Amino acid sequence: MNRYTHRFQHLRENGQKAFIPFTLLGWPNRETCLETIQVMIANGATALELGLAFSDPVADGPVVQEAALETLNSGFRVRDAFELIREIREFDAEIPIGLLVYFNMVMAKGGEAFFREAAAVGVDGVLIADLPPDAENQTFAQARAAGIAPICIISPLTSDERLRLIAQEADGFLYVVSRLGITGTDERYDTSLQDLLERAHRVSDLPLCIGFGISSPEHAQTMCKLGADGVITGSKIIQVIRENRGNEAVALSGFLRNMVAATGKVGS
Amino acid sequence: MLSKGHFGTFGGMYVPETLIPALEELETAFLTFSQDAAFLQEFRDLLANFAGRPTPLYFAKNLSANWGAQIFLKREDLLHGGAHKTNNALGQALLAKAMGKTRLIAETGAGQHGVATAMAGALLGIETEVYMGEVDMARQQPNVFRMRLLGAKVHAVKSGSRTLKDAINEALRDWITNVRHTHYLLGTAAGPHPFPTLVKFFQRVIGDEARAQMLDRIGHLPDYVIACVGGGSNAIGIFTAFLGDEHVKPIGVEPAGKGLDTHEHGAVLARGTLGCLHGMKSLLLQDEDGQIHETYSISAGLDYPSVGPEHAYLQSIGAARYESATDQEALDAFHELARSEGIIPALESAHALAYAKKLAREVPNDTVLLVNLSGRGDKDMQQVMNQQNAFQQSQSVNLTS
Repeated sequence: MNRYTHRFQHLRENGQKAFIPFTLLGWPNRETCLETIQVMIANGATALELGLAFSDPVADGPVVQEAALETLNSGFRVRDAFELIREIREFDAEIPIGLLVYFNMVMAKGGEAFFREAAAVGVDGVLIADLPPDAENQTFAQARAAGIAPICIISPLTSDERLRLIAQEADGFLYVVSRLGITGTDERYDTSLQDLLERAHRVSDLPLCIGFGISSPEHAQTMCKLGADGVITGSKIIQVIRENRGNEAVALSGFLRNMVAATGKVGS
Repeated sequence: MLSKGHFGTFGGMYVPETLIPALEELETAFLTFSQDAAFLQEFRDLLANFAGRPTPLYFAKNLSANWGAQIFLKREDLLHGGAHKTNNALGQALLAKAMGKTRLIAETGAGQHGVATAMAGALLGIETEVYMGEVDMARQQPNVFRMRLLGAKVHAVKSGSRTLKDAINEALRDWITNVRHTHYLLGTAAGPHPFPTLVKFFQRVIGDEARAQMLDRIGHLPDYVIACVGGGSNAIGIFTAFLGDEHVKPIGVEPAGKGLDTHEHGAVLARGTLGCLHGMKSLLLQDEDGQIHETYSISAGLDYPSVGPEHAYLQSIGAARYESATDQEALDAFHELARSEGIIPALESAHALAYAKKLAREVPNDTVLLVNLSGRGDKDMQQVMNQQNAFQQSQSVNLTS
């Protein structure tokens, strides 16, 4: 049983929803990044979603892109990111760790080596932002072979036919895009979201976690009441850290506590 | 998805899941309308009566004498808008209209594709927004003004290298967000399937015409067909008609910038490695982590770290050859064409000319070189003036020192 299955089962038994914070590995620097991730764990994050900085992150909005470029400019490399994950895994043996990457970074190392190294440092799942499950047939199999859950995205525009295909290929959880668009803090939700959640539940047993634009406890609660099994917050966390340099831990703790409280007992 | 659009190991559809429905919708519409007589009739009518096709095939007598080969120029510089980009913009804008899309977005490097899209948008009454890197806006100011005159909104892209690559990133982001009513009018034969195939379909008129014109003019086909390659749309447009002709050698010319041994070039087919960017597998200029290198060329239209997947494929099977020309070689060819033939080429097209000049020295005088003059050079006036001023200043420093 992988860490995702274990943890989501535990949440379900307790009538709780997941809160998955995102940050970019190595941003704003190695030490602060490690500290913010420890703050996430200490405040009750269900799982971690950690991004590898990429030079051309087309699925991300300006907030994450800027952080990615800063990280690359600081000289922080993929091997540094993997070392950082190893340290996080030593700090917490149980928390599921997901990586958010772009396909070119997987190709650069070669799928097999990439997933083997990721698994070795303690990664549980990998979401490749620009690799739909039917784009090719090798990479998902390589992930599975290394014991890594391929995490997939679904959106309100995803057809039932593709939902079935994705449900077959995906593992860990399904990353549900709350609205069309890139990551960011825009709070307008697509009206067809509830319909999507119902359609997805019909074809998959995987937990449905909603991301894109989830930036306050109120949004998180709204999403959970719509039928989500959890929420993912990214850009807002980057913003909180950026706006509170020198005092990141305290500011982030406050934000995370509220988010975890909002998802803690919804609908139980 | 209906098909995956692979050219050997290159091509494909590597995009966020949110874009898959839009690409499938586009592929379906393309398959339908590319066989629809009324649609094709409207496209051909616009090409002829709005854009001015067929473009002439011109025998450059003076240049041929100077360089030592028979040099024919396919005059896409005379197409409405000033470059071959109009072919594709009209085709895709018609397709977007047929699909019921109410908004066009486009990326542009040199500004020619942005201008072509703005023209098509104005003609067909579709709101148009163009993404352009800040660096490119500075070096191609006349085209920024032209786009605005044509009613398009131009967004300055300030991220990354602030050139074509980043403009494509921004356009993709816009499309992911507004996919329901917006068509992304991609300007080159690159990106996710079906774009490379679709752009080739609308651009192959260049080679189809040129092939018939060559046969009509000299009774046989050219020995070489030469075109510049950034993303590769004018090259694939002129190559396609000749790919079945065993004795015709297609040569694509990439920007060598300040030299292939520097970091300042954009010669992807020469120095790139397999990767995935902007929705396709192709060759890429990248580091060992897969981070994309910033490229460089004097010509904004060739300043791109990847290349259309079909070119990578044609190179891999030996069906086309790819060479390069430096900034300086392109500038020299630019001036030579202006003075010997009275034609000012785009700096992009000047790269194809520069290689033709090198090749002419190596082949017998009766060898026929067909060069795609993909665009005119009006947009490059400021850039070339700056180069000359810099050159003159360095000369005067030398004289006084």
